[in-house]
Amino acid sequence: MADDDAKDQYDATQYHEVVKGDTLWKIAEKYYGDGSLYKDIFEANKDILKDPNMIKIGQKLRIP
Amino acid sequence: MKRNIVGVMTIALVSAFLFTACGSGDKGPAELAIKAAEEAFNASKGEAAKYIPDEVKSLEGTLAALKEKFAKGNYTEVIPEAKSFAEKAKGLLDAAKAKKEELTKTWTEFDQGVPKMVAAIQSRVDMLSKSKKLPANLTAEKFADAKSGLAAAKEEWAKALESFKAGNLADAVSAAKSVKDKAVAAMETLGMQVPAGAK
Repeated sequence: MADDDAKDQYDATQYHEVVKGDTLWKIAEKYYGDGSLYKDIFEANKDILKDPNMIKIGQKLRIP
Repeated sequence: MKRNIVGVMTIALVSAFLFTACGSGDKGPAELAIKAAEEAFNASKGEAAKYIPDEVKSLEGTLAALKEKFAKGNYTEVIPEAKSFAEKAKGLLDAAKAKKEELTKTWTEFDQGVPKMVAAIQSRVDMLSKSKKLPANLTAEKFADAKSGLAAAKEEWAKALESFKAGNLADAVSAAKSVKDKAVAAMETLGMQVPAGAK
């Protein structure tokens, strides 16, 4: 249990919660300065995203 | 008058004799007490020095002072002090054990968490290196700082692992803490979320 707590406490996965007006391109611009890197974000979230143009408000996306 | 002087001198001589005799009488017990204290210390100092080196060093000083008192003939002082020292020396192992448990817990936390932080920073650095321009809040200079911080953190983490494998838990934890601090600094520079446990 203590080990599990330690794992969670140090979880360094980076997330972005989708808000109104967000697109993967804009998110990539925000974190990398370059919108064309949106594909990397899409790849990192393929388990929850089917289409890079279809993201939903409130979704938590992993940011590599 | 003359008789009084002789009387005073006699009393003084007898007192001096008795004092010396009593002091000398304590020499054997004092020697034994120091020996017992030293044996108790020697039995635990090797293991204790790995986890509580400062306490061991302090007791070394106390033991040296005790021996000096013994050499000066302060036997009556030496006996209780040596007994008290022996008790402290016996407690060293318990203190070392407690410190070892504390260090092991801290190491386990770092061992599970720090590599994740380093991997997350590496991932972000890789992405930013592919980027045609940096995000608004990151200058080229800050990015260079973060990259060198990451390199230093990776190097130091390797040293922490080496220390841990060699059984130097205190050194391993100290190096791991330094890596964690470097990782936190790099994450902040890159505008990343710092894990709660690392703050």
